[in-house]
Amino acid sequence: MNARRACRDGERDGGAALLLAIGFVLMIGAISAGLASLVTSGVNNQTMLVAIRDRQYAADGAIESAITEVRNGISASKIDCSSDGSGATEIELDALVIRVDWQIACGVTRSADGLAVSRRDVVFSACVDAGSACADTDVLIRAEVNFERGPNGVVTHTFVQSWSVHQ
Amino acid sequence: MITVVITSITVTALVSSLATTGSAGVAQRNRAAADTVMRNYAEATKQAARACVPCGAYTVDYTAPDGYSLAAEPIDNWCPNVSEVKRITLSVTEPTGVAASMQIVIRAP
Repeated sequence: MNARRACRDGERDGGAALLLAIGFVLMIGAISAGLASLVTSGVNNQTMLVAIRDRQYAADGAIESAITEVRNGISASKIDCSSDGSGATEIELDALVIRVDWQIACGVTRSADGLAVSRRDVVFSACVDAGSACADTDVLIRAEVNFERGPNGVVTHTFVQSWSVHQ
Repeated sequence: MITVVITSITVTALVSSLATTGSAGVAQRNRAAADTVMRNYAEATKQAARACVPCGAYTVDYTAPDGYSLAAEPIDNWCPNVSEVKRITLSVTEPTGVAASMQIVIRAP
């Protein structure tokens, strides 16, 4: 009689241990899923970080190229305050095609010695090329650059007036 | 017996998950540090180019942290002519040997 009861108790204990083990498996499974999610999130963040960096430097490089292009145009008198003074250029860097829209912004300013001199600035806006002009919301970098011309009309120096990274 | 087997497998899975998370964390930290090194290197190169004069050379004043190595292609430090830009491919190699590269553009002011 006692032996039969002991055997029944042993079976009940075995069942309880199995339930405990299954609970343990579920708990560890949940922890592992959380860890996997953490690792995935970290990898995605890293990929995003590199993509943003490459995009910013591609936009930066595209604006530098556009500045040089406009500089050559001003030096050759193809771009001036009297002309339309706007344009666009596309440059590929790090497998990204960046479009740079530029608009001349001329004005008159007073020099240190009180003389009125013309100011020849150009505003550049860079965005990932989508086949149309850069929308304000898509602009990666916007820069305003002053082009200083010498007596012979050739640009002698460029001065970055502003340089803002938007995205 | 079955319980012991299940528990052992589960504990093994947990330990390997923790190890994977740990190594992924270290890799992520290395990538983030490499990103900072790359940005600093790029800014130092652009800064050096701002002092460019015609037919001159520029000197990049940046030292990588211990374990990181830097490279630039082309390796010459000649200033670009004012009518053109110079494309440079910068590379940063992490202490683990993982390398990353990025293109930048410099010009003479």
